[in-house]
Amino acid sequence: MTRTVQTQTQTQAQANIQQPQAAAPTIAVRKSCNPDGIGLSHYVLMDKKAAK
Amino acid sequence: MTAALPSRALAGPALIPVDIGHPVYAAVTDPDTAFWALVDKTRLAETVAGGPLLDAYREQAGAFGQELHALRFGLKPSGVYLNPTERCNLDCTYCYLPGKQRSGGQHMPAETLIASLGRLRDYFRSVMPEGRKPRAIFHGAEPLMNQAAVFAAINEFADDFAFGVQTNGTLLNDAAVDFLTSRNVSIGLSLDGPVAGITDATRRTWGGKSVHGKVLAAMDKLKGYGSWSVITTCTTENLPHLTSMVELFHAHEVPTCMLNTLRCTLPGARGVKPADGEMAKAFFAALDRSHALYRESGRKLVVANFANILIGILAPTARRLMCDISPCGGGRAFFALAADGSLYPCSEFIGLPRFNGGSLLSEGGVEAALASEAFKTVIGRDVDKFSPCGDCAIRHFCGSPCPAEAHEMNGGMEKIGAFCDFYKEQVNYALRLIADGKADDYLWDGWDEGTETLFDLSL
Repeated sequence: MTRTVQTQTQTQAQANIQQPQAAAPTIAVRKSCNPDGIGLSHYVLMDKKAAK
Repeated sequence: MTAALPSRALAGPALIPVDIGHPVYAAVTDPDTAFWALVDKTRLAETVAGGPLLDAYREQAGAFGQELHALRFGLKPSGVYLNPTERCNLDCTYCYLPGKQRSGGQHMPAETLIASLGRLRDYFRSVMPEGRKPRAIFHGAEPLMNQAAVFAAINEFADDFAFGVQTNGTLLNDAAVDFLTSRNVSIGLSLDGPVAGITDATRRTWGGKSVHGKVLAAMDKLKGYGSWSVITTCTTENLPHLTSMVELFHAHEVPTCMLNTLRCTLPGARGVKPADGEMAKAFFAALDRSHALYRESGRKLVVANFANILIGILAPTARRLMCDISPCGGGRAFFALAADGSLYPCSEFIGLPRFNGGSLLSEGGVEAALASEAFKTVIGRDVDKFSPCGDCAIRHFCGSPCPAEAHEMNGGMEKIGAFCDFYKEQVNYALRLIADGKADDYLWDGWDEGTETLFDLSL
């Protein structure tokens, strides 16, 4: 099992040398709204309508 | 003259690298605006040096800075925490309220509570947009020790406030549950262990009796209700059992829980304070379990205090909890009314007389309290202005809570809170989830309804 992993790692390393991997895509997100948070560590307000 | 300016001032905002422990991604942040991006670690140096990400960010940096400044300094209060009694039927190890008040304190008379809510309604009408209700949360000690006054107030002001109650659950009989749920009151309970032996280590009656079974019974009564949650306060006593807590909550169909670090404001709490590293290990194991349960069942158990960290990163203004921002929400997004009629920035300060901002029903009322030195001391706590937070890349994802424990435990408002390293680990964990595309699994469905996407970049 260990040997298989080593073999795969070596094969991957060789592939990396031959063909550089593409960079992982950059991730950057920012959303915005009117702030209305009033919760604190002792309480979180759940606004969801009662189900019963 | 120009040559003497720092290079950053010439170029505009810069990005600071942060190792988040991800195999592929590192984060970069501009802490001044709470901007972040996740970039391939192998491209980190060139990303920070310049290029399309930095160019796109610099176009928006001014607007992001204004938005964060408005969130930190421009809010008017929209909520109040009401303490209708000083008394509690439990004697929890870590409570932030003095034991003498909880054992033998006073109830607020019903007529005083009604008069107080009338005054508060008028205040909120003067500062909030028409059509938006302020929130009023009955809070502890144990508010249902003064149930008649609380229920009378909810009936009297049903059209004026969105009400909530945070209760230990021991007095929630069928009639109380019917009353609260029929009026859509948001209900928070507290439970510290998956079995009585663990809960009893920190939450017992004054006579030492267990209340574990009563809280489970209250949870059963609330099953199916849309607006309830349960808080677990994490201590050395229950830390090894947080994963079991999550399993218990999920099995009881709890929609939202909090796995909070205890607040170390009063000395009693510090004896059961977990170390940051142990807290992080147990907390993330519980989060992982909550995610596995969601994947197995399709039903989420949102861990609200962590969800709030995630939301604070993705949409700073959409935070629900106002502890993880600096200044915190105490005394500016909300304030607290004590049972003796005094106003405090937050319930956390009610045991600390120097933070009393004056009486609600006296001349000046809320406005005088907001302008008082007691409130200014809390509102003025700004992580930009003290070390080590001022140089921290994630300071506006964390806020260094809580000012009460910074003041009482660490010696001043310009000190860090009690769990600095744990907060860093939470932010890293949150950024790793975003990198792996899993963030929404940990958030309320529809959490971003009503938000606008200002920045969304894939390069």
